[in-house]
Amino acid sequence: MSDLIVAPARTITIGAAIREALAEEMRRDERVFVMGEDVGKFGGVFGATRGLFEEFGPKRVIDTPISEMFIVGGGVGAALTGLRPVVELQFADFLMNAADEIMAKMGKWRYMHGGRLTVPMVLRMPAGAMGGVGAEHSQCPEALLLQAPGVYIVIPSTPYDAKGLLKSSIRDDNPVCFFEHKGMYQVSGEVPEEDYTIPLGVADLKRVGGDVSVICWGRMVQVALKAAAEAAKQGIDVEVLDLRCLRPLDVEAILRSVRKTGRLIVCHEASKTGGAGAEIAAIVAEEALDALAAPIRRVCGPDVPIPQSQHLERLWLPGSKDLLAAIQAIVK
Amino acid sequence: MPLTDDTKLSIYRHMYAAERWEATLLRLIEQGVVSGIYHAGRGHEGCEVGAVSALNKDDYLFYDHRGVGHLLAKGADMTGLYGDFLGNELGSTRGLGAGIVHVCDPELGIMGQSGTLGRGQLLATGAALSAKLRGTTQVAMHFFGDGSSNLGTFHESCNVAGAWKLPVIFVVQNNGWAVSVPIEYSTAGGSIARRAEGYAMPGVVVDGTDPFAVYEVAQTAVARARRGEGPTLIEAKLARMRGHFEGDPDNYRSKDHQAHDPLVKTRRRLLDENVASEARLTELENAVKEQIQAAVERARRGRMPERSRIFEGLYV
Repeated sequence: MSDLIVAPARTITIGAAIREALAEEMRRDERVFVMGEDVGKFGGVFGATRGLFEEFGPKRVIDTPISEMFIVGGGVGAALTGLRPVVELQFADFLMNAADEIMAKMGKWRYMHGGRLTVPMVLRMPAGAMGGVGAEHSQCPEALLLQAPGVYIVIPSTPYDAKGLLKSSIRDDNPVCFFEHKGMYQVSGEVPEEDYTIPLGVADLKRVGGDVSVICWGRMVQVALKAAAEAAKQGIDVEVLDLRCLRPLDVEAILRSVRKTGRLIVCHEASKTGGAGAEIAAIVAEEALDALAAPIRRVCGPDVPIPQSQHLERLWLPGSKDLLAAIQAIVK
Repeated sequence: MPLTDDTKLSIYRHMYAAERWEATLLRLIEQGVVSGIYHAGRGHEGCEVGAVSALNKDDYLFYDHRGVGHLLAKGADMTGLYGDFLGNELGSTRGLGAGIVHVCDPELGIMGQSGTLGRGQLLATGAALSAKLRGTTQVAMHFFGDGSSNLGTFHESCNVAGAWKLPVIFVVQNNGWAVSVPIEYSTAGGSIARRAEGYAMPGVVVDGTDPFAVYEVAQTAVARARRGEGPTLIEAKLARMRGHFEGDPDNYRSKDHQAHDPLVKTRRRLLDENVASEARLTELENAVKEQIQAAVERARRGRMPERSRIFEGLYV
């Protein structure tokens, strides 16, 4: 076939990309099964498992009681004994309800037992503020897992990345925490028909620029691209680096970008204090302080709980205007 | 497998091995060469050996922190066990998971132990779900104490196991003490086994100092699980003959638990019931002692790992 003939691009949502990744991996490997609250006939409260029950039946698409410790701990038990569970916590906030199972069992069981056991499982968690579901159902708690060596942390921002990263996560023999932003399930993008994977731990330059590096992940990638487009009108050339994974962390890509632009803004939705941005800033301070022409800035959620009111929730979220202001300030 | 004289002798041999293995370990602890904290198993060996003797090699064992009876009955290598406590490269985890908590041998179905209490209930239930989904007749057996029956994990695990009829056997080793707190104070209802009714599974109380009774109860539970009829909760009543851990002053309770030594009772019974002669038992015991002596001598020759060991085995 000629290189000039390009198949028409197919556009699907992140929700559909996740459904496709799950279905294709379940067809490919009969050891893969899905388990969580309302994931069966109902298809998940965000629709991410819709259609799986009809295709694969109740033995591979398993509704659980409201038992978060079992969802994760039971998943670990199944992963230790020959299966490849993809379990779901209905809201990422619930990782605190199963913190020991995630941080000590998913992450440490193999290590504690001398590396003789494997825990090939994925924990999917819808995260982020969307729709006024309040302080206990809106968080982006990924930074908590930075203190849980042994679990990978994956956070896609596009349909293409969501599908490729979820497939890699399911095929990986290490346990993976996979965050999906609740406000992004309807975001559309191009996704090829054919099978593909994206390696874990490889950041992606979503926009190439020379003046300032915005390092971000999840929904903040959209925010960053919007701010970058505005900044471009003012002659500021912004680079947007989507980390996609916080573990494995693509330190090389971070340093490469910062050494190029000399200016770093880290942007994440989670509250600023103790967020993953602090870790990125610390790495850059340790490894590339000499390359910085200005102090590092962070544009993040404020250090207060996320209000229930949708009006106040919108005001809580870091937005492109906040980021644009930081971009303008850092290049001055 | 029926409770033949051979089975009885095999159970006694493992119990005796657990007691002798532990006595030798206590000497190593006194010498200051042991890494970690040991939770002695004296008083529990009858329950642990009796229950595990009802399992097959490919069944899953999620053991508890108390003693090594369950591990030896499942076939754990004695040198590896000593190596784990010495923290050297002959340990089952090559010096990493030193101490009772993290002995591991997947080939024998020894799937590890949770340092945080109650969590093994969840993992064992998940392993039982796995066996059911894969269509095997494997079962998972999990040991825990009366103290761990009061965690939320107990409810989540028993509920799922009962609702889904999972092939898991919960063995509660009820010694009446959660470290220093007595069960009468901490536990409503006075019975763990009676809770089973609420989870649609049999709850069986058994004398945990009688290994043959435990074996028969466990066999019934295993057979039920293999038939797809679901879980069983076994509450074995027994006594913890030493402190919660080595170094526990154990000054919060009376010493009447010394009267419930399963090893002494079982040995006397084997003689009284003419299962074996004194000479036969002495011969068996001498063989165990030799085995243990050889194991500890081998294990003491193991090398301590280098710092690089810290960075091995976290990821695949």
